[in-house]
Amino acid sequence: MSLLEVDRIDAYYGQSHILRDLSLEIEDGEVCALLGRNGAGKTTTLRCVAGATPPDVRSGEIRFDGDEVVGRETEDVSISGIGLVPEERRIFPNLTVEENLHLAEVSRNSSNLIGRNLSQVSETRPLREIYDAFPRLDDRQNQMAGTLSGGEQQMLAIARALRQNPRLLMLDEPYEGLAPQIIEDVEDAIRRISEEGTTVLLVEQNAAAAIKIAERCYIVDQGEIVYEGPSEELRADEETRQRYLGV
Amino acid sequence: MVLETAIEILLNGLQQGAIFALLGIGLSVILGTMDFLNLAHGALYLIGGYAGMYFIRETSLSAGYLNSIGVDAIGLGLGFAAAMILVPVFGFIVGLLMERYVAEPFYDRPETDQLLVTFGLALIVQEVIKGMLGGNTFQPTAPTTLFGINVGGPVMLPIIGNYPQWRLYLVGIALFVIGLTYLVIEKTDFGLVVQAGTHDSEMVRMLGIRINRSYSLVFAMGAALAAFAGLIGVSFQTVSPQIGTERALIPAFLVLVVGGAGSVIGAIFGGFVLGITVAGMTVLASQWAQIVLYAVAAGVLLFRPEGLFGSKGVVE
Ligand SMILES: Nc1ncnc2c1ncn2[C@@H]1O[C@H](COP(=O)(O)OP(=O)(O)OP(=O)(O)O)[C@@H](O)[C@H]1O
Ligand SMILES: [Mg+2]
Repeated sequence: MSLLEVDRIDAYYGQSHILRDLSLEIEDGEVCALLGRNGAGKTTTLRCVAGATPPDVRSGEIRFDGDEVVGRETEDVSISGIGLVPEERRIFPNLTVEENLHLAEVSRNSSNLIGRNLSQVSETRPLREIYDAFPRLDDRQNQMAGTLSGGEQQMLAIARALRQNPRLLMLDEPYEGLAPQIIEDVEDAIRRISEEGTTVLLVEQNAAAAIKIAERCYIVDQGEIVYEGPSEELRADEETRQRYLGV
Repeated sequence: MVLETAIEILLNGLQQGAIFALLGIGLSVILGTMDFLNLAHGALYLIGGYAGMYFIRETSLSAGYLNSIGVDAIGLGLGFAAAMILVPVFGFIVGLLMERYVAEPFYDRPETDQLLVTFGLALIVQEVIKGMLGGNTFQPTAPTTLFGINVGGPVMLPIIGNYPQWRLYLVGIALFVIGLTYLVIEKTDFGLVVQAGTHDSEMVRMLGIRINRSYSLVFAMGAALAAFAGLIGVSFQTVSPQIGTERALIPAFLVLVVGGAGSVIGAIFGGFVLGITVAGMTVLASQWAQIVLYAVAAGVLLFRPEGLFGSKGVVE
């Protein structure tokens, strides 16, 4: 059984039909990329997996570790082991770095967990490990997150998701707007996360960037999966890249 | 002479400001976290005022339904100290019920629906009170002793001379409650969730936190503070069915505009700025007092639509 199975879903924003019969599977421990142009439906796919609404999933199933995701509250999906580093990062600018990272811990308070139908809730990842992995955040523990540089904010968004100790980490265009040097840092961070055993789903527009760290790629176009294969194969397949990604 | 007036304005402003701040905190945090503008917030002040009166003393009735069926006086006569506990507890419970049965069903509805239902509720509360107790204006009751301490009578202050002692105590009590609220928001996990939620509640949920639970608590806390403000009001201002709108909802809304949605510090700051403004204008040109309040709010809105401490626009 794959860790994540998206099985023929159709998703809508109001009347607009965005994802069409979309399926994908992520194996435990792999780094997988979901590629596609602007507006192809990448973020929408991640939102469906995260249990966020909208979009509205009208048919199909999404199973994480065998459990159905569709219809559950997004906080329940998250705490069952899916971490998201969203597009635009969405760190809390009015909180310090430390406070941003503390929220995962708050989610484990019994006042938050009690009365919710949750099977297994993992421990959070120790703060020390997080700061060791992101020394720049360590130096800025008490700085307001809104005053961090773009790169630091992206690190914080990743660190915040990791603090939840997810089994599946989903990153939505994590290189967006970053300088080449910082992109390398983010790549290193993702590699390390993967080596420690976390499964990674990376959303990208840029095939070259994704191929560098992913073992397998999907391409989504106009809400449909149009390609699936090992990264090596996509690297060689210029026609497919040209057709669906315009590169 | 000038100094004397200035000090008097400052003291009156602190009293008024404390009430505005207590009211503003709830309205602002509820708007910030739930995107819910509660026009019934003033009704909680009204409820707090009448509940306070009921707990503190026996009040004789001369109009209204209760009077017409032969009730001459109501009230438990428990005194002010008991009311200081009972009124916020009562407000808290009313807030929980209000969140559950009035606010929650409207979270996902358009803003106009939210405004209509909460404004409707405010009118109902006002009219029910008027119907039961009559539209009379009741006189304030300041306590003379509180927890064994003498708080009544005048106190001799430098420069301005005799001043009602209770007025100083009430500022102290209000500041204590405001400070406590500030600590809860700044120093507890609950406060952290609320602060994060004012910015991006979906992201808070995506970290595994069931934010709805904090919503009920925020609402109830805001209601308890508004009711407490009503109790403080009873101790030095008259009580009538209109105070919910005139003395509570409108000022609280202006505090929100000045301080910004979702900011406790903004509400405290805005509350005192407007309180001192009103006190000053009342002395200098009382017919302009209300207008100047609106002018201050309009000025802030013009130059900083998100309020002085807010992160997103109040009026979108
Ligand atoms: N909240 C929304 N309401 C209505 N339509 C939406 C909403 N969000 C996205 N869409 C539409 O859904 C389609 C897919 O959007 P999505 O955000 O999933 O694209 P994407 O692949 O992530 O693109 P990008 O690379 O630009 O982030 C687009 O046509 C978009 O306009
Ligand atoms: Mg996107």
